[in-house]
Amino acid sequence: MNRREVIKSVALMFGGTLSTPTLMAMNHWEQATTPTTNVAAFGLTVTQQKIVAEVAEMIIPKTNTVGAKDVGVPAFIEMMLKDCYLSSDHQRFMEGLTSLEQLKFLELNEAERRGAIKMLEQQTKEQMKTPSKTVPFWRLMKELTLLGYFTSEAGIKASFEYIQIPGKLENIKLKPNQKSYAY
Amino acid sequence: MYLNIKSTKENTFDAIVVGSGMTGGFAAKELTEKGMKVLMIERGKEIKHVQDYDTAMKQPWEIEHRGKTTLVSAEERWANSRFWGLGSEEVVNHLTNDKENPYVEKRPFDWIRAYHTGGKSMHWGRQSYRWNKQDFEANAKEGIGIDWPIRYEDLEPWYTHVEKFVGVSGQKEGLDVLPDGHFLPPMPLFAPEAYFKKVMFDKFNRPVTVGRVANLTQPQAIHTELGRASCQYRNKCARGCPYGGYYSSLSGAIPAAVRTKRLTMLHDSIVAEIIYDDKKNKAVGVRVINQLTNAVTDYFSKIIFLNAGSINTAALMLNSKSSRFPNGFGNDSDQVGRNLMDHQLGAGATAMIEGFEDDYVYGQRPNALYIPRFRNWGNDKQTAYLRGFGYQGGASREGWNRGVAADGFGGDFKENLTKPGAWTISIGGFGEVLPDPNNRMYLDPDKKDKWGVPLIVFDAAFSDNDRAIRKDIVASAVEMLETAGFKNVTPYDRPTHLGLGIHDMGTARMGRDPKTSVLNSFNQVHDSKNVFVTDGAAMASASCVNPSITYMALTARAVDYAVKSLKKKEL
Ligand SMILES: Cc1cc2nc3c(=O)[nH]c(=O)nc-3n(C[C@H](O)[C@H](O)[C@H](O)COP(=O)(O)OP(=O)(O)OC[C@H]3O[C@@H](n4cnc5c(N)ncnc54)[C@H](O)[C@@H]3O)c2cc1C
Ligand code: SF4
Repeated sequence: MNRREVIKSVALMFGGTLSTPTLMAMNHWEQATTPTTNVAAFGLTVTQQKIVAEVAEMIIPKTNTVGAKDVGVPAFIEMMLKDCYLSSDHQRFMEGLTSLEQLKFLELNEAERRGAIKMLEQQTKEQMKTPSKTVPFWRLMKELTLLGYFTSEAGIKASFEYIQIPGKLENIKLKPNQKSYAY
Repeated sequence: MYLNIKSTKENTFDAIVVGSGMTGGFAAKELTEKGMKVLMIERGKEIKHVQDYDTAMKQPWEIEHRGKTTLVSAEERWANSRFWGLGSEEVVNHLTNDKENPYVEKRPFDWIRAYHTGGKSMHWGRQSYRWNKQDFEANAKEGIGIDWPIRYEDLEPWYTHVEKFVGVSGQKEGLDVLPDGHFLPPMPLFAPEAYFKKVMFDKFNRPVTVGRVANLTQPQAIHTELGRASCQYRNKCARGCPYGGYYSSLSGAIPAAVRTKRLTMLHDSIVAEIIYDDKKNKAVGVRVINQLTNAVTDYFSKIIFLNAGSINTAALMLNSKSSRFPNGFGNDSDQVGRNLMDHQLGAGATAMIEGFEDDYVYGQRPNALYIPRFRNWGNDKQTAYLRGFGYQGGASREGWNRGVAADGFGGDFKENLTKPGAWTISIGGFGEVLPDPNNRMYLDPDKKDKWGVPLIVFDAAFSDNDRAIRKDIVASAVEMLETAGFKNVTPYDRPTHLGLGIHDMGTARMGRDPKTSVLNSFNQVHDSKNVFVTDGAAMASASCVNPSITYMALTARAVDYAVKSLKKKEL
């Protein structure tokens, strides 16, 4: 089965009532070998870095304002994973990432990528219903992308009205289309 | 042991204050202003007001991990990082390295520590509420613990004294349960909070008020003359405020004491023992270990104030053995280290608010709303538990982080997150904890820290009464938010231990009888009257309101008494 068919069949499963296999499970079903995650020295391969960058950019694309890649989100994510997350979190992250890798994510066209990510999003919602100490790949990816982007200098300045020293506190009425304040 | 024998004269002061935090700072201010030559001894490193607030003016992108706790911080600050946000690099270097300063948990205790100039006063949430009359009377009425040797009226003038100096913003409400104080103008409630206040009053007859908080909404001369300025509403107080907008020992008491030119400060100096002279039958000074050089030096004074924080004060007393006090200084009653109390924290409810889409806020309020205790108060009688709880909380509009759990990605998703989201509200309880002699801390008989001082062991847990209160904190929060018509009301109850309220107290309680208490009605150690304990250790019960303003009022009152007694040659 080629990857296009893989995506199609996964999509079908989501349309139906089947229980939700993870992309990881899908890979097993494809008899692919799962690369092991060396958690002691966390780091991403060049391909993995590219996937993280592409997925981050899909979450926060460059529009009339800067996007995730412009403000260094991909490197931020890797740094955060390394410095702030446990090996169990790394493992969970790598599960998602390797499944995208095996899907040859980088070779997919834009529509296919969107389809894959949409599925991932649905699966993640299912997975999040089971309490767990770790967070699935998509959720962590999203959290770190938003954190990295909306706290970066260019991201803040492009997105919000940034006020370092408000000097006063007031109830106000929101003007049409008013952006959030960031402090 | 290397004994640094300077001339006794050089090391002799009118008063020694152990600890430079919330209460030590206040003691030093009051003592020096009353003409005493004071030595204040701080175990931690020196932090200079403004200049050492190294993260205060950092922009969000200059905080490398953007507020998340790193694995290194989580390991080094294994206890401190149990509290929300204290592991973040915005503040983490100002909290004690738990790995280097270990303690033993026979039963778990979340011990939050800040060993440096100003102690925890640099980090506090600044919520400042007077106790009410009942709080001082309940123990006697209900037969819990021991009776307080003082009443509200004894402390009332000292509350005013402290509030004036500290600068507390708040709204007068005329409530018995939450006595009004001397306030600076209140901060505003936000639109949905004002609505919530109205509904709570109409439906439950429960008052809601804006938090009473030690931030300067309108500085007075007493503040500006110390270099303190108006709060700028950045809500980054935890990093230390370059404007002196909030009260800490660093911004208030220490500059006031320095101004008198009668204050000497030592840093990196661990007070390991109180020196008791068996011939003179009195405490004459303290023994200090320099934490960097291990050098040991003795200092002497006429009076000694113990303000190391409830737990360290009790530990210091227990570690000070003499032939007069073989069980630890002032410990004839065996109550030192016992009756360890705190407040319950980490339970409440959250909700979504529909409407108020046009309402927004400019500035960041370093404050919350407050719902005073309504249980076992007035006509309310609970069968499941004694005492009660208050809530702190507030409403805010969701920011970009609402995107984390939401569906979607891409251009529109990104654009949407730049606008304010829906209003949400959260209220969390502060529950009273009852005194129990079996809730205690003591010194480990074998294990010692790197300075040879015994490690502290915690052996304490919540009681049935505490748990019943906690259950009601959650249930009442849900009921109130639902009654207000808010949506998606979600209870929360985070598993916690004693300690997480960071209101540890009770370990050397005041009382009327030396057999059952450690201190008298002026915070004097019963059988060693020139030693005063005026931090949280002195508390005979806990109330449910944040305690620091009460500790400071007790401190100011005790100093007044001490100096008068000294002048009358009674000490
Ligand atoms: C995050 C946070 C939020 C808080 N919010 C509030 C609030 O909203 N309202 C409120 O009322 N309270 C609040 N508190 C609690 C408040 O900070 C404490 O009640 C207060 O600081 C206690 O004062 P203290 O003088 O007893 O202890 P500390 O302020 O901790 O000072 C003790 C000092 O003694 C030093 N010391 C300890 N042992 C020795 C020794 N052996 N020798 C020499 N020095 C020693 C310490 O290094 C420290 O500097 C909060 C605390 C924290 C951390
Ligand atoms: S909110 Fe006010 S007191 Fe707090 S740091 Fe900002 S300016 Fe200072």
